[in-house]
Amino acid sequence: MAEGATTIHAEIGAAVWKIAAPAGTVVAEEEPVVILESMKMEIPVLAPHSGTVLELLVEEGQQVEEGQPLATLRR
Amino acid sequence: MNWQPELDELRLRESHAREMGGPDKVARQHAGGRLTVRERIEKLADPESFHETGAIAGRAEYDEAGNLQRLTPSNCVMGRARVDGRPVVIVGDDFTVRGGSADATIREKPVMAEKLAMEFRLPILRVIEGSGGGGSVKTIETTGRANLPGGVGMSQLFHLTTENLAHVPVVGLGLGSVAGLGAARLAAAHFSVMTKESAMFVAGPPVVARLGQDLSKKELGGWEIQTKSGAVDNAVDTEEEAFAAARRFLSYLPSSVHALPPVTPGDDDPARRDEKLFTAIPRDRRRVYQMRPIVESVVDRGSFFEMGRMFGRPIITGLARLKGVPVALMASDPFFYGGSWTADACAKIIRFLDLAETFHLPVVYLCDCPGFMVGLEAEKAATIRLGVRAMAAMGQTTVPWCTVIIRNAFGVAGAAHAPAGRLSLRYAWLSARWGSLPLEGGIEAAYAADIAAAEDKDAKLAEIEDRLNKLRSPFRTAETFWVEEIIDPRDTRRLLCEFADLALPLLSPTPSRLRMRP
Repeated sequence: MAEGATTIHAEIGAAVWKIAAPAGTVVAEEEPVVILESMKMEIPVLAPHSGTVLELLVEEGQQVEEGQPLATLRR
Repeated sequence: MNWQPELDELRLRESHAREMGGPDKVARQHAGGRLTVRERIEKLADPESFHETGAIAGRAEYDEAGNLQRLTPSNCVMGRARVDGRPVVIVGDDFTVRGGSADATIREKPVMAEKLAMEFRLPILRVIEGSGGGGSVKTIETTGRANLPGGVGMSQLFHLTTENLAHVPVVGLGLGSVAGLGAARLAAAHFSVMTKESAMFVAGPPVVARLGQDLSKKELGGWEIQTKSGAVDNAVDTEEEAFAAARRFLSYLPSSVHALPPVTPGDDDPARRDEKLFTAIPRDRRRVYQMRPIVESVVDRGSFFEMGRMFGRPIITGLARLKGVPVALMASDPFFYGGSWTADACAKIIRFLDLAETFHLPVVYLCDCPGFMVGLEAEKAATIRLGVRAMAAMGQTTVPWCTVIIRNAFGVAGAAHAPAGRLSLRYAWLSARWGSLPLEGGIEAAYAADIAAAEDKDAKLAEIEDRLNKLRSPFRTAETFWVEEIIDPRDTRRLLCEFADLALPLLSPTPSRLRMRP
C-alpha cells in the first residue's frame, strides 16, 4: 500500500455491484467509492475523507467478505 | 487527655495509602499515559465527593519495636461518591500495587463495594485495570497452594459481579490492560467503555503465545477487536472521555430497579417538525439512507447516546430523551445488510431490551427490517436461534412501546417490531412497505409454474412484480385496518413526545420479573 494512503474495507459480506469511483477519481468525504449489493439493496461504501482513489482492489460482480480491503485512497 | 497519638497514626496510615504503590510505580503509570486510580476516581465523580472506605487496609511492615514502617495499601480503592449530585459506589483497581493483581487484593473490599451498591440501591462504577483480583500464577508460590476458583460453597465476588445487573446500574471502565476476572467484571456491565489505548482479554499475549498466536496486546484485545465482538460497548480516545461516557449513561437511568428513570426538563419543542424527514427515504427501494440523522431529528436535541455502535450493526441502540423522558431507542441501519437481523444484531437487541425492561425505560423502535439475514453464513451463525431469543426478549418486556415503521417490515423479523402479546402504539411512514416475504425471490418461488410456462421468463417475472407492487401499497393495508395509522414523517417527533407523555404514568418502580444477564 502506498505511503499515507487509507484502505477502505467492506463492512459487510456482499457482492460488488458497481465501482462508483475508479482509480484516479477525486472524491469528497462520504462520497461512494464502491457500491455493494446485499439483501437486494445497494450499499454504498463511502470515502472516510476526501482524496484521490489510488487503486481498486476488487471488480464488479466479485463476492467480498466482511473486512476485505476494497480500495485505497490518498488525502 | 485526648486521642491525638491515635489520630496521628490514622492520618499517617492514610497518607501511606495515598502514595499507592510508591513514586516509581506512579511515575510508570503516568509515563504509560494512564492516570492513577485515585486521579481516575477524582475525575469520574463530582468534585470532592469521594468518601473512601477501607483506605488503610493493606500490608504493613513494622520495625522490631512494633512501629509502623510502611503500609502498602490494597490494590482495591473503593467508596461512595456522587455523579451529577446522585450517590454512587466507585470501586477501582490500583495498577501501581502489584499490577492490580490478586495477591495484593483484600478480597472483602471489592465484595463490600458490590454489596454496598446492591443493598443501598446505588449505581456501581467499576474502574478496571489489571486482572481485577484474578491473580497470577505467582500466587501459588506465595500461598503455597493452588486455589480452586470460587472457593467452597459460595463466592461473593463472582456472584455479585453478575447478580448486581438485576439490581442497580453497573458501568465498567476498562483503562489499561484488563484480563481474567477484570475482563469478566468489565463485560458483566450494563454499559462498558474502554480507551483506544487499552486492551481487554481473557488471557494476555504471553498465554496465547503458547497457542502459537504471536499477537500484541492491542492485536489480541484492543478496541477494534472488543467493540466489534460486542464484549465492550464503546471506545473513546481518552480516560476523560470514558468518565464522561460513564456519567452520561447513568444520567438516563434510575439509581436502582426500585426507582424510575429521572425526567429532566428540556427546552426542545415537542412539536418541532423537521422538513428533512420528508425527503429522507429514497423512492428507489434499492437505495439506502442514513438512519442516525433521523434518530437525532426526532428525539430531544442532542439527547441520543449510542451504545455498542460497532457490534450487531444492522441495529442502532442507544438512550435518548423525549420531552425529557428517558427512553431506550433502537433503529435499523440499512447500510448493514439492509437492516436485516443478523445473529449479532439479535444478540444486541436481547441485551438492549433487557436493559430497558430492567430500568423501566419505554422503548421506541424505528423499524426498517427486510427480515432475518439469509444465506449459508447466516444459517451457520444460528440466526434463527438468536432471532427467536430476540423475539422472546421483546415479548417479555412490560414497558410501553412505540414503533415507527420507516420502510421495510418483512418476514418473521419484520413481525418482531413490537411485543406480540399486547397493544403498543404504532405508526407507518409514507415510505413503509411490508409483506410475509420480499417480492424479489418470493415471486420466483410462488409463481414458479407461471414463469416456467412463459415464453419470455424475464418479462413474465416483471409483469407479475408490477402487478403485486400495485397491490402492496400501504394504503390498501390501511383500508382493511391491517395497519392502524400512516403518518407524515414530519409529525414523528410530536407523536413520539405524546407517547412519552402516555408512557410516563404507566411506569412502575417495581423490579421486573426479568433477571438480567450480562
